[in-house]
Amino acid sequence: MHILAKANLIEAIERLVKEFKVLVPMQYDGVSRFSVWGSHGMQAFNASNTLLPPKDSLFPRTETLYAYQVANQEITGVTVRDQAEHQIIFGIRPCDMQSIHCLDDVFLTKGYADSYYHSKREKLLTVCIGCTKSEPTCFCESMGINPAGHSGADIQMNDLGSGYRVVAQSQSGQEIVEKWKDLLSQGQEEVVAASCTLKVDMNGVPEMLATLFEHSLWQEVSRKCIGCGTCTYLCPTCHCFDMDIQNQGNQGTRFRCWDSCMFSDYSRMAGGHDPRPSKSERLRNRFLHKLQFFSERYGKSLCVGCGRCLIKCPVHVDITLLIDQVRKEAAHV
Amino acid sequence: MNAIQIKMREVAGQLLSLGEVDRVIGWEKGRFAHQSPPAFITDETKVERLIWDEYCLTGTAKYLLDDPYRAGKTGLFARGCDARAINRLIQDGQVKRENIVIIGICCTGMSDSVSRQMAAKCCDCTHPTPVVYDLMIGEPVKPVAKPERFKAVAELEQKAAQEKSEYWTRQFAKCIRCYACRNICPACNCRECFADQYRVGWLGKQHHTAENQVFGLTRAYHIADRCIECGECARVCPVGIPLMELNRKLIKDIQQLFGDYHAGVDSETAPPLGRYSLDDMEEFM
Repeated sequence: MHILAKANLIEAIERLVKEFKVLVPMQYDGVSRFSVWGSHGMQAFNASNTLLPPKDSLFPRTETLYAYQVANQEITGVTVRDQAEHQIIFGIRPCDMQSIHCLDDVFLTKGYADSYYHSKREKLLTVCIGCTKSEPTCFCESMGINPAGHSGADIQMNDLGSGYRVVAQSQSGQEIVEKWKDLLSQGQEEVVAASCTLKVDMNGVPEMLATLFEHSLWQEVSRKCIGCGTCTYLCPTCHCFDMDIQNQGNQGTRFRCWDSCMFSDYSRMAGGHDPRPSKSERLRNRFLHKLQFFSERYGKSLCVGCGRCLIKCPVHVDITLLIDQVRKEAAHV
Repeated sequence: MNAIQIKMREVAGQLLSLGEVDRVIGWEKGRFAHQSPPAFITDETKVERLIWDEYCLTGTAKYLLDDPYRAGKTGLFARGCDARAINRLIQDGQVKRENIVIIGICCTGMSDSVSRQMAAKCCDCTHPTPVVYDLMIGEPVKPVAKPERFKAVAELEQKAAQEKSEYWTRQFAKCIRCYACRNICPACNCRECFADQYRVGWLGKQHHTAENQVFGLTRAYHIADRCIECGECARVCPVGIPLMELNRKLIKDIQQLFGDYHAGVDSETAPPLGRYSLDDMEEFM
């Protein structure tokens, strides 16, 4: 098998920067996220998950869809802004890799491909690094994900201590590995993978949830929720957005930006009616989307077990406790 | 089991069984040892869920706003910060004193769930003992002045305008617009926040530094004379923006301009920006 010595890691990345915008896990100003190689901050290849998920490389926080000019009350020009760059996410973890698969389902399947997402996705390469340690809040295994790696990545790497095992898993991955040929050595070493200490039993949960829509547990669980967007904005799979325009004199842009189903104005309709008037309906919707609706529609869970919401929810609303509770309540229905 | 926790369960059990309140709000244990989220208890047989440990970080008072027209009375466990929050909410006409039974707890400070050291918000606490209560648990502690809590502000004030601007631009570049700071804040009690009125045009929905700054700075100004310094905004910020530095700058200015004022210490003294006096400084006129 191919082994990339850690001493060669920087050189391996440097070889890619001419062709690609290389995004690596970085720590800057107390926040870890995927940032462009060479930007401010400290590389965080050895840390576990980044605080901010990598979804904004495919689905930016704010994205201009088109720009327009107006003269004499006539639209004089519309420019579609759809300029995707070749990107590599280097060091993505298996849970986040799975989140990209979920986003692919949303934006590319069921008969409609979102062109803005599609153009970025086509030019994206992923280099997954398997986890050798798990955080107490990691539960990807319970969500059917292997902490050692993800078959959907173009290149799978695994930390062996002094180097990384490198396996190309696609044609584009193979082409990258070719560029590294002289940096790689051959060897046989055992891959050590993390195992999650936090476990939940997801077996049958979507079906159980289908029977609990009107259950009082949603009132109970949501009582402490403060209705902020921390869970949705740190979640690697949450993908709701809003669209709006920004006018400046004779020109303007239409943009889309992240939105959160936890916000009170999210489901408010014209005329003022809100089908999710309180936080219990909003929280129920979020959890059902994660654990029931998505699996009914796409056959996979929309929660990938990354644990970000468990860490950062200001009041510790905990999806793993909710799953436990759902099992308990479903047994009594 | 600690004495405060024993007493909490006893008091909650009594209040619920006598029908003096129909729910109590305190804290319970989360999945992990360092998590003690808020608990809502309506059944006297469930008071064993209540806990008191060094991770009871979340304020309890803001929850009174969730259901402003509920019929029953609420038993609210309140530390110094929560008690000041209750006063603020009463002053703003948001809650009625007679609908709450305040069970005061003399607090010695909480721990940060990551560093396990004294939480930043508690290091700067001036009123560990509740300023308003019906029942009290623990030994009262006198208010402490803590002038050192303005140290970071004083340091920032020394910097050139350009430097200050760069500092805050960098901080708000991190903002993810989750609004956790606003939603946890007991001074933020507008029926509809300006940030949610995006059709009006105060604030764009775009996530970028300029709009983030408009949100953060407007919110700071809006709560300028109403911030009770509970420090919850800075605690819950997922990206670590030092929001209390902004709030303290405004508190410091207000104290210089209008004299010694501490929001929520009582429910009678009107906040400086909410009253009018002929002696008010008006050098801008």
